[in-house]
Amino acid sequence: MHPILEEFCDKWVWPTMPGAPGAEFRLKLTHEKCLAAWETLLERTVRDIEEELTTNDEGWKRDHALRGYAAEGVQMSIKQMSAQLLSVDIGEQENYIDLQRMRARQIWDECKHSKLHADVLLGKGWVKNERELMNIAQANVQPLPAYFGLSMMFPHIHPLARAAQNYYTEANACLGIMAYIKLVDDPLVVHEHLSQRDEELMHFMEGKFQLDFYCTTPESQHHVEDALGYLLHQIGGFGRSPQPAAAK
Amino acid sequence: MSLRVDHDRCTECRMCYIVCRELDINAVYVALEPLHRIEIDLDACTYPGCTACLMYCPAAGSIVEAATGRSMVPPPADAWQS
Repeated sequence: MHPILEEFCDKWVWPTMPGAPGAEFRLKLTHEKCLAAWETLLERTVRDIEEELTTNDEGWKRDHALRGYAAEGVQMSIKQMSAQLLSVDIGEQENYIDLQRMRARQIWDECKHSKLHADVLLGKGWVKNERELMNIAQANVQPLPAYFGLSMMFPHIHPLARAAQNYYTEANACLGIMAYIKLVDDPLVVHEHLSQRDEELMHFMEGKFQLDFYCTTPESQHHVEDALGYLLHQIGGFGRSPQPAAAK
Repeated sequence: MSLRVDHDRCTECRMCYIVCRELDINAVYVALEPLHRIEIDLDACTYPGCTACLMYCPAAGSIVEAATGRSMVPPPADAWQS
């Protein structure tokens, strides 16, 4: 196991509330499905960073910030996650009200994260103001519109399908952040990631909590497995996004 | 023995509040004064009998043992392994 993944698991994945009714299911999912995917994506991220650090060109930092800006704020948080709040029926709101509040907060967390990517672009002088990003296609598209959003929601509409998204996908975010902080010493890049760290970990914990507390029956576990299967199916898409011609 | 929040580390994400409420212990609450911050009711908290909040807190060092100041996040092995 990669040392970064091992550290992440030791600190945040393995610690388990004694008696948590869904913990056995979560740990089974982790061992059978999540670990391999987390490792694959982490290794890909580390390899990308190491390659990028061998160049004197800072263009990769620009590309990374543009992709992050698109993925976190513009495309995902506002458009997709706000609509995701409506996936809980009125009659079910009472049962999931805390999760709804957490999701409402996550929208703003993700918007903040897009601002952190903008900080890099502004700080490096690649854009003069955030408005300029409207004219850069790369800042407004992402290759996986479905991984945490609307098209994910429609076939996986049960509120507990979010648990798979929060647990699996946000762990990937946490691992990527750990890799960037560990390997890159550019203060702006560190800022870009360090200021997201606890929030992404909170989003992961939301998934961990849902799995441990709510996924206690085959019916509820099915929704998680179904959504996780979809997310794992998309693993090949998590690499570098192609740079649209208009952004060059 | 009980737990307290280190407000220099806490991000006010409320995971501890949600977990404590789910377990109907309700030791974690929002103190209206001075800043609507998360606090732990020492009388209601059943630590070390319950360590649930520690398992879901994402902010390292934000929950500590009240008596010793020992950081409990991420949770040390003795908080969850028997």
